[in-house]
Amino acid sequence: MNILIVEDESRIANRIQRMTRAILGDALQSLTHINKLQEALGFIENNSLDLVLLDLNLNGDSGFDLLTKAVSESFHTIIISAYKNQAITAFEYGVLDFVPKPFNRNRLEQAFNRIVTKEKMVTNTTKFLAIKKRQKLQLIPIQDVLYIKGAGTYTELFLTDGRKELHDKSLEKLEQLLSHAFERVHKSYLVKIAEIKKISVASGSKYIAELKNGARIPIGRTKYKDLKAKWL
Amino acid sequence: MLLVTSCSQNPKPVFNEYRTVFRIGDQPEWAATDLNDQHWKKRIALVPDGQVFWSRTKIDILKAPEALKPYGFRLEVYGEYEVFWDGVLIGKNGNPGQEADLPPEGKLWTTFIIPTDLTNTGEHVMAIRLSNYYYPDHIGNYGLKIDDYDDLLTDRLIQNSYMHVFAGAFLIAAIYFLFLFLGNKKEYPALIFSISCFLFFGLTMTHFVRTTVPIHYSLHVVRLEVITGLMFGISFSIPLYFSMQFPYPKWKLFLGIYTAILLFIFSIEHHLFDYTILNMAFSLLVFSLGIAVFGVYKKAKGAFLVFFTLLLCIFMRYSVSFNLSLFTGFSLILLNMLYLLSLRIKEQRLAYENSLVQSTRLRLELLKKNIQPHFLMNTLTSLIDWIEETPKKGVLFIEALAKEFDLLNQIENQTLISITQEIALCRTHLEIMEYRKEVNYSWEEEGIDPGQKVPPGILHTLLENGITHSLPLDDNSIKFKLVYESNSDYKRYTFLTFAAAVRQEANTKKEGTGLKYIKARLTESYHEQWELTSEPVNHGWKNTIKIYS
Repeated sequence: MNILIVEDESRIANRIQRMTRAILGDALQSLTHINKLQEALGFIENNSLDLVLLDLNLNGDSGFDLLTKAVSESFHTIIISAYKNQAITAFEYGVLDFVPKPFNRNRLEQAFNRIVTKEKMVTNTTKFLAIKKRQKLQLIPIQDVLYIKGAGTYTELFLTDGRKELHDKSLEKLEQLLSHAFERVHKSYLVKIAEIKKISVASGSKYIAELKNGARIPIGRTKYKDLKAKWL
Repeated sequence: MLLVTSCSQNPKPVFNEYRTVFRIGDQPEWAATDLNDQHWKKRIALVPDGQVFWSRTKIDILKAPEALKPYGFRLEVYGEYEVFWDGVLIGKNGNPGQEADLPPEGKLWTTFIIPTDLTNTGEHVMAIRLSNYYYPDHIGNYGLKIDDYDDLLTDRLIQNSYMHVFAGAFLIAAIYFLFLFLGNKKEYPALIFSISCFLFFGLTMTHFVRTTVPIHYSLHVVRLEVITGLMFGISFSIPLYFSMQFPYPKWKLFLGIYTAILLFIFSIEHHLFDYTILNMAFSLLVFSLGIAVFGVYKKAKGAFLVFFTLLLCIFMRYSVSFNLSLFTGFSLILLNMLYLLSLRIKEQRLAYENSLVQSTRLRLELLKKNIQPHFLMNTLTSLIDWIEETPKKGVLFIEALAKEFDLLNQIENQTLISITQEIALCRTHLEIMEYRKEVNYSWEEEGIDPGQKVPPGILHTLLENGITHSLPLDDNSIKFKLVYESNSDYKRYTFLTFAAAVRQEANTKKEGTGLKYIKARLTESYHEQWELTSEPVNHGWKNTIKIYS
C-alpha cells in the first residue's frame, strides 16, 4: 500500500508513521509524510496512492480544500483530526473513516481494517461525490445519482438529469462508501435501491432491474436473491 | 398652559384710549374733566430734578360695568404719582414731587379701583400728577388697561401660578441634570442642558416677578438687565448644546463667531431691551437652525425633529405675541434638547451593555485558548505519545502544560496584566509546542520594562500565529524576539519571528480570529489610542503594537 500522511504536528505524524508500519507490516510499500497543504496537493497529483491520512487543520488553513481534492481521487481518505464536530461533514464528503485525536493504535487499526477487509460502511452518510471537471472540483449530491457503472479503474455516474460524469474511484471503493443506499447488482453496476421500479426476467433467464427513468440494468446471477430480498 | 393664560383675558376691551398729553407744572384744576388741554404737549423729553408734571388721557368707556362689579385700571408709569379720574383723586402711588427727600415708595405696576358712578358709558378723563426723579428722560404712560377690577387682580395671579409651575418644572430638570453631570463629569451636554434649563427658569421667574414682588420704577432697569443677561446666556448655551449634539466641522470657530455676533447685539442699543432680546432670540434660532440642517444632512438622530421645532419657533415668532412665542418656543426647544439627551443616554446604555458583553466574550476567548480542540487534542495526542515512548519526558511535558494552565488561570479575569506574566505565558507555550512540533523554539527579549502592563494574551496570540504560520529554518529552529521601545508619545512592542515563512495566502485573505482578539483587547484598554501592524519581512514575520500615551 502507498500511504500519504498529511499532518503538521511532527510528534503526531511520527506516531502515525510508527503505528502504520506496525499495523500494516509488509503490506506497506511506501509511507510519506508532508506537513504543508500545497506540497500535499502536488504530491497527490503526481503519485499513485492507496490511502491518505489527513489532518483537517494545517498551519491554520482549513483542510477542506484538500479534502475535496482527496475524495475526488481514486484512493480512500481517512481523517485524523482534533475537531470531532467536523466528522459529519467529512463523512458527507465521502471519507472512509474519521479518527478523532487523541487516538491509540487500536483505533488506527480499526480504520485500516476498513480498507483491508473492504468493510462496507453501513452507518456512514456520504452525501456528495467529488468529481474533477475541467480542472475544477465539483460536488455531486448523492441524491442526484441513479446508478454507477464500473469502467476499468474509473466509474461512470448516471445522474437524474440524464448527465453522465466520471469518477476516479473504483466501483469497489464507491460500494464501500455508498452501501447505505446503493446495491452492487452486477459486477459492473451499483444501483440506488430506491430507484428500482421492477425486476424482470428476460430471455435466457437474465435478470433485469428496470429503473424509474426507464434505464435497464443487468442483475448478476449471484446477486439476484440478495437484491430481491432487500428491494422487497 | 401658555395658551390658556394668554387667552384668559377679556378679548373685547371695554374702553378706548386717546393720546396722552403732558404739561410741566402743578395746578390742582388740571385734574378737571372739562379742562381745555389742547395746548398740552404730546411728548416731553425731559423733566429734570423730580419736578412735578401732569398727564391727561381721554378715555371712552364703551360699556358700563355690571352692578357691584366696579372697574379698575392698571397702570405702568415711570414715576411716583396721584391719579384723578374725572377730577376725583382715586389713587396714590408714592410721593410725587418729594422723591428727592423721601425714600422710594410705590411700585411700577399698580391697579386702582374706579368708583362705579364714574364709569358710565361715555367720555372720561384720567389725569395723573407725577414726578420722575430717577429716570427723568422716561416720560410717558407705558401701559393702561381698564377692566373688571377683580379680573385685573386675579388674571395676573392665575397666569403667574401657571408660570411658576412651568418654571418649577425646568428648575427640577436643571437640578436633576446637574446631579447627573456631577455623577459623570464627562457628560457636558447634561451640564449645558441643566444650565439652559436653569437660565430659562430664571428668565420665567424674572419676567413674571412683577405680580408678586413690588418693584419701584427706579429698580425696573435692574429687572430688564437681568432678563437680557439671562437671554444672552440662553442664546449662547442652546447653540452650544446643539453643536455638541450635531458636531460639524470647525464648530468651535463657528461658535466663536456666533458669540461675537451675540456680544455685538448685546452691546449695541443696549438700553432698548426688547430690541436686544428680540435680536438675540432671532440669531439663536437662525444659528441653531443651521446646525440642525447640518444634522439632518448628516442623518443624525433627532436632527429632523430639532429642525422642525426651530422652524415652528420662527413661524410662531411672526404669528403670536413676542412673549408668548418666546416662552413657548424656548420650552419646545428645551424639550427637544431633553429628547436628544435621552437618545444619547439610551445610546450610552446600549454601548455600556455592549462593552460588558464584549469583555465577557474576550475573557471567554482567552479561556478558550487552551481548551479549543486544536490545542488540547493535539497536545494530548503528543502527550500520550511521549508517555508511551519516553515517560520521563512525558512528565516534563505535563509540568509545562500545568504551568501554562496555571498562568492562564491567574490572568483570566484581568484586562491588563504585567508584561512579565505575559512573557512567562509565552515561554511556557513555547515549551509545550517544542514537545509537540519537535522544533527548537527560542525566545529573546530586548528592552523590556517589567513595570509595563499589557492586555492578557495578546503576545501569546502573536506567538501562536507565529508558530502556526511558520516553518522551521534549515537547522530546525524558530526564534521569536520581543523588543520594547518607548518615548514621550508612545510605547511600542515589536514581535519578530525568525523562520521560513509559510505561504501567507490564507492569512491575507481574511483577518484571523487571533488578530481580531488582539484588536478587541487593545480597544478595550486603550480605546482608539493604539496601532497594530502585521507584515511579512525577509527573516519571517513582524508585528508591532503601538500604544499612544
